[in-house]
Amino acid sequence: MIRIENLSKKYYNHHGSEWVLKDINLTIPTNVSVGLVGKNGAGKSTLLRLIAGIDTADKGQIFRDCRVSWPIGLKNVFQASMTGRQNVQFVARIHGDNEKIKEIINYVEEFAEIGKAFDDPVKTYSSGMKSRLAFGLSLAFDFDVYLSDEATAVGDASFKKKASAVFKERVNQASLIMVSHSEGILRDLCQAGIWLNEGEAIWFDDINDALKAYSEYHK
Amino acid sequence: MKVRTSWQVTKSVWYALFMREVLVRLWTDRAGGFWMFAEPILFIIVMVGIRTAVQTVEIIAGADMIPWLVIGLVGFFMFRDGLLRGMGAIDSAKALFSYRQVKPIDTVFVRILVEGVVRTLVLIFLLVGLSLLSLSAFPDDVLGFFFSWFSIWMLGLGLGLFFSVLASLVSEVAKLVRVMMLPLLIISGAIVPLQFLPHSVQEILIYNPIMHSIELARLSFFKGYWSFPGISYLYLYAWIFGSMALGLMLHIRFEMKIKSL
Repeated sequence: MIRIENLSKKYYNHHGSEWVLKDINLTIPTNVSVGLVGKNGAGKSTLLRLIAGIDTADKGQIFRDCRVSWPIGLKNVFQASMTGRQNVQFVARIHGDNEKIKEIINYVEEFAEIGKAFDDPVKTYSSGMKSRLAFGLSLAFDFDVYLSDEATAVGDASFKKKASAVFKERVNQASLIMVSHSEGILRDLCQAGIWLNEGEAIWFDDINDALKAYSEYHK
Repeated sequence: MKVRTSWQVTKSVWYALFMREVLVRLWTDRAGGFWMFAEPILFIIVMVGIRTAVQTVEIIAGADMIPWLVIGLVGFFMFRDGLLRGMGAIDSAKALFSYRQVKPIDTVFVRILVEGVVRTLVLIFLLVGLSLLSLSAFPDDVLGFFFSWFSIWMLGLGLGLFFSVLASLVSEVAKLVRVMMLPLLIISGAIVPLQFLPHSVQEILIYNPIMHSIELARLSFFKGYWSFPGISYLYLYAWIFGSMALGLMLHIRFEMKIKSL
């Protein structure tokens, strides 16, 4: 369960500061996958980063009592000078899975299908190879809640098919909080929805209602 | 799925960062392991050569010239590289902050820790080497020496924590600190003895905490060593705890700002 209490966040820029999120109260139950909808700049990614714990709020708190992933789909989750294998090893270590490190590395190596490049520095990778590695890495851990920021399966057709199949299966066991502009994906993977509008967050038990409210508002 | 305690998370992060740092130092830098040892040895050979050429080898009261130089140089390098590498730690770990477990202070701390381990190994290596050349290279007060050696490291840690935040917020600070290192090498008494300077100059130099830490190490290494009046642990630890408290405060205050820079 993730509980958000009186959460506010503002960004400072050269013409003052604006509240992106204003006094948000939400409880996201375990085993419910949630889609975040709203127009660009409404604060979807900000809220996701706050839930992930890589950004702090100006007011309020977030309580997590489950294992939450980093935002999947985020660029730059690898140290460029280290090899793919070393990066995977590093992430496995910070998650404290010492006895499973070998397993995790093998899983990612097999999943990413980038062959010998797995032992080359990440800076030599193409963007497609990086996304393959990142996607494989995020699936190697058993998180209770996956955060996804526009993370859609990437790469060629066969990899896409495999990745989305594994991802769907994973979402059946764990839950998902995702930002996406594709209604199809949201309907496919999420049950509930949160509509972010002018700093407020409105909870919908059904993702279809959230999408409907959002599209009617902007008609 | 069990949720880990904060301390468990911190331990895993330190372990992961430590292994990453060692890996990068040993294999990614070209011949990193070789230069780690070669740099101070070459430096010492050059310094001893110069001192022999101008015939000032024997004038350090109560200490042998070569171990005296080894302690000063390796100790100063441990301080300097701890501080400088700690200052660059945050910038080179940018990508790792996507994992909320990794905090800027972890990267700084682990880097300085690695520096301390490496330099201590270099020191032991050099002292054993000197003993094999049948020079007296064993501390007279072993425990006292290790404590003072640890104090040099602590000073680097305190100032490293402090300057790592400042340098991330204001990049000019890093340049300034870098420029300061050469004069500090000289006025800390790492390579030339300062005992023979006029009293009026010594009165100013005594404010330098790095000199305190290096002289304290030499005092415990050589029983009959004659150092400055006024060298004290109290003054050194005032600096260590002062800079550490300030550094920790800055890290708490600016953690998120540093991460997103």
